[in-house]
Amino acid sequence: MEIAHSAVHDETRQHATDDALAALVEQHASTLYRVAFSVLRNGADAEDAVQETFLRVLRHRGTLGEVRDHRVWLIRIVWNIVLDRKRRAKTRPETEDVSDLARVLPATGLSAEERAAAAQHHARMLLLVDSLPAKEREVLVLSAFEELSSVEIAGILGVTESSVRSRLFRARNLMAGLLERPRSLR
Amino acid sequence: MIPREENENRVPASEAEKTLRLVAGLPAPEGLSDRVQEGLRKAPRGRLLEWPMALMPGSWIQSPAFRGAAAAAIVCVVAGGGWRIYSHVQTPAAPTANVITMPARVGGASGFSSANAIRTPDTLAGPVLTRATTPDKAKKPAKRMKRHRAHPAAVAPQPIQPR
Repeated sequence: MEIAHSAVHDETRQHATDDALAALVEQHASTLYRVAFSVLRNGADAEDAVQETFLRVLRHRGTLGEVRDHRVWLIRIVWNIVLDRKRRAKTRPETEDVSDLARVLPATGLSAEERAAAAQHHARMLLLVDSLPAKEREVLVLSAFEELSSVEIAGILGVTESSVRSRLFRARNLMAGLLERPRSLR
Repeated sequence: MIPREENENRVPASEAEKTLRLVAGLPAPEGLSDRVQEGLRKAPRGRLLEWPMALMPGSWIQSPAFRGAAAAAIVCVVAGGGWRIYSHVQTPAAPTANVITMPARVGGASGFSSANAIRTPDTLAGPVLTRATTPDKAKKPAKRMKRHRAHPAAVAPQPIQPR
């Protein structure tokens, strides 16, 4: 009798967890994909990262109830996954990045030439971002997501909010220097 | 909601930030959620090991009587082990006298009997005389004569004088 009650309880609990997980996928998959794409810059890799994120959540579904902010928690998981993948992956050739960007960036009202030039420009900017030190680059990339506050960015990176602000300040200064240099060379 | 001051700080300061915002704002592909859900459904779900019923809260194993008995058993095991070690480690008292212990008897009532056989130990062969000794010489030992020689006056036979 007690065992039967326990089995029913287990089944109910599993259904509840599955429902919660499904709701998390519906709610946050898109954000996670965008975060993954901003680091990996490849659609298939970003989707794989999202899938891996939710598989990890499934493995630790017992702790779902203890998480305060699911969004920050999920972004933190996907962030660690994509950084790990980026570290392991070989450096992709610049031409591949440019062609990918030309395909995915919005190009309404642009001619083919203008679209190619815009893709070239964005690829060069991303290359400059990649040349920043890791700490500053990470803050700069995450700050591009308007829905993330500096407190949330601090939560994702595991640092204080003041660290986020100072890193962002340094990143902007470094970027300004990097952008000025090619102009002065011209 | 991002504070106003922070929002002002986050105005794209460079072309690079504009690009980053553009990339960050790209929409997710169609059907992403469905594919993820499908992947989760296919994922192997390892069933978690659960505690046996006896370990559940409120079971008999958590009753005060059982706990007391378990504590007593632990104390007995620890005390017994300690006593066993103590008894092995004790040094024996110094012997007061030389005590020779007899070897244990082999056999005995329960073993084979000796059938009243007496064991005669082997002895060494005695000395064998090659020449027979004369009875006179045997009466006068050389050593005795030598002793008397030390006092010739006393030992020498006195002449019998006629009365």
